[in-house]
Amino acid sequence: MKVGIVGIGHGKFGNRTDATVQELAFEPFKQAIEDTKNLRRDDIDALVVGSVPEYHMQRSLPGVVAEYVGMNPKSTWLTEAACASGSAAIRTAYMAIKSGMHNIVAVIGVQKMRELSTGEILALMGRVGDVQWESIFGTTFPGYYALYANRHMYEFGTTKEQMALVAVKNHYYGSMNPLAFFQKEVALERVIGSDDVAFPVSVFDCCANADGAACVIMTNEKLAKKFNDTPIWFEGLGSASAEMSLLRRPNLVEIPSAIEAAKQAYAQAKVKPSDIQVADVHDCFTIAEIMAYENLGFCPKGKGGKFIEEKQSYIGGKIPVNVDGGLKAKGHPVGATGVSMTTEIVKQLRGEAGKRQVPGAEVGLTHNVGGIGQYTFVQILRR
Amino acid sequence: MKIIPKTKIMNELLLKFYQLVIFGGANYLKSEDYKMELKGKSAIVTGGSLGIGATIAVELARNGANVAINYRKHDTEAKEVAKNIEKLGRKCLIIKADVSNYNDAEDMFKKTIKEFGGLDILVCNAGINRDRVIWKMNENDWDSVINVNLKGYFIYNKLAAIHFKDKRSGKIVNITSINGLRGKFGQCNYSASKGGIISLTKALAKELGKFNVNVNAVAPGMVMTEMAKNIPSEFLQKAIDETVLGRIATTEDIANVVVFLCSDKARHITGEIIKVDGGQYI
Amino acid sequence: MPFKYFGKINFTPYTKVDKFADFLQEGKLMGTQCKKCGERYFPPRADCLKCMDDTFEWVEYSGKGTLNSFTTIYAAPKGFQDIAPYTLGVVDLKEGGRLIAWIKDIPKNEIKIGMPIKVVPRMFEEIPEIKLYYTIEKP
Repeated sequence: MKVGIVGIGHGKFGNRTDATVQELAFEPFKQAIEDTKNLRRDDIDALVVGSVPEYHMQRSLPGVVAEYVGMNPKSTWLTEAACASGSAAIRTAYMAIKSGMHNIVAVIGVQKMRELSTGEILALMGRVGDVQWESIFGTTFPGYYALYANRHMYEFGTTKEQMALVAVKNHYYGSMNPLAFFQKEVALERVIGSDDVAFPVSVFDCCANADGAACVIMTNEKLAKKFNDTPIWFEGLGSASAEMSLLRRPNLVEIPSAIEAAKQAYAQAKVKPSDIQVADVHDCFTIAEIMAYENLGFCPKGKGGKFIEEKQSYIGGKIPVNVDGGLKAKGHPVGATGVSMTTEIVKQLRGEAGKRQVPGAEVGLTHNVGGIGQYTFVQILRR
Repeated sequence: MKIIPKTKIMNELLLKFYQLVIFGGANYLKSEDYKMELKGKSAIVTGGSLGIGATIAVELARNGANVAINYRKHDTEAKEVAKNIEKLGRKCLIIKADVSNYNDAEDMFKKTIKEFGGLDILVCNAGINRDRVIWKMNENDWDSVINVNLKGYFIYNKLAAIHFKDKRSGKIVNITSINGLRGKFGQCNYSASKGGIISLTKALAKELGKFNVNVNAVAPGMVMTEMAKNIPSEFLQKAIDETVLGRIATTEDIANVVVFLCSDKARHITGEIIKVDGGQYI
Repeated sequence: MPFKYFGKINFTPYTKVDKFADFLQEGKLMGTQCKKCGERYFPPRADCLKCMDDTFEWVEYSGKGTLNSFTTIYAAPKGFQDIAPYTLGVVDLKEGGRLIAWIKDIPKNEIKIGMPIKVVPRMFEEIPEIKLYYTIEKP
């Protein structure tokens, strides 16, 4: 019995000093219900919240979100997997529906990051490796990805310019996405010339911390057509973990959990990488998107730089990637990102992406990595 | 010839017999093996040719250490100390050095570390006095006492710290005086220098603790040295009256405490000032 | 020597492998070895990953290794802003295992991935508190 998405909602990502976390969560939830045909809020029988609690003063987010959006007394709980919390939430909802335990589940990914200062966020995110042996020396999230980038450049000759091209592409598409944090295009020279945050990763190689929320409403095959004429189906879900610490990975040029999760998803969906027609991948840093091309099998290992250089991830190329702006242009409210990616792919497969539409897209993929690769969730969706 | 002792008493007697027969000499019986707490250690003692310094040097050697001493002009006395140390079976270096001269000090450290293969102990003891009431004290009286008594200690403590810090172990004992704890009439320069040594010791204990280096000070009261023999008897009697034990220290009284502070038994004592004054100043 | 003396800011003051800090203060880099199956670990861990046995003994590491990757942090997290910018290196140790540490005294233009280096136990010397760490230096 398949599981499908019948409603999507996406709030504006950015510096949302205008709302509390539960007020943020309300926006896409309302949109998602209105996106369906005849679904009433009362029909939804569970709410899964994807978020990383450490950023908020408010304790126990699902409780406050469920109350504010009006889901009491339905079942609600939190899923957390660092930056992949949103996809973890979707996976849990999938399991709940597939098992028959719930029929209609809403998933809200929500995050307020900007309650903390930049120094505090750097410290907090720098503790996403091994706190006992690494954070004591002042690791940062960009620092970890810089270690990946430096090694990738050493082993495969990837260049700073190739990394910068990812930023250029994502900002190009971001300028067409009214919900993105950053709406302006960015020139290649500006990206390369920007200051180093953690050599060789510079300011424009990094996604921005943002506030935001997104929502999907999922249900089973039996009920789906009742609430939407074009449900988008989950064909394959992959999920894997890898060592928390870079120190214990086999190498620093790939994310093993991404490779494993992708394998599972392709197997379940019975498709090959070349069958994917549109994808949203986890570009927390430009090097992360290059590694994603390789880990997802869109190109051979080490050839990620070439893939972007040849514009293969633009619309018209082999596999358009992040044509909603990616984390780079949208911003990265960590709990919301996975759900945001899913809503984008749903839009594409429904043919509702307007200027950013990939013509005739029928099979799409989302790739959501948590932390420095300790979790990855890959989803393959089909119209 | 192998005699297997049947009782404990037999055992002891036989041990003494062997010692007498094989090594002979009353001298040896004085330095039993169990006293060798500083076995294998190397020490520098400034002002080690005379008085308290000389006894400290010999007692360190008696406890197993090789000792380097400096002298400014008393080379005969220095050679005598070296002879006594060598009689105990230890090595002794005598080096002409002015403790207030940095280059002399550097040289002494270099020579000592080369000759002994390292350094474990520094005892700063060299000191002079130029007693005057302040209104009669000239700049040279002040400068010379501060330079030898305080700056000299700074120089030697610094050079030792550099060596001990890399080694991650060491013992420093700075000889101060009860007149550094209290003020002494006619000794504003001497008291100032000896008081300074106390604070220097405490500050260095804090800086060097993490490197496993103990820095302590010993504050003698009146000590019966060769020099002290020249003091008029009424002043000596006054000092005896000040004590509660009714006696003046010998140089061994001071040296024994220094040896203890340099031993492993004192490993948890640092930044401490131990008075050895018979209760002269309580 | 409490483990909390290890690192510029220590977040894990209590650990089953806290003796690591004692050895570090003596100038020794120590890893652990599982008593049951002999598997070695650096950074040290008390419970064996392979066979799950929880008995271990300490084994000394030479500190020799090669540089796997590095980065220079300019935007520093809270608590490290006073030493920014600083360079972090990832080292593959000769006896196996990896570590992250600051790269000390190697000029920027001489740092190359793949170069041989040595990991040296160090202390912050010019502060009153005891703070231990190790650095990556030229062999």
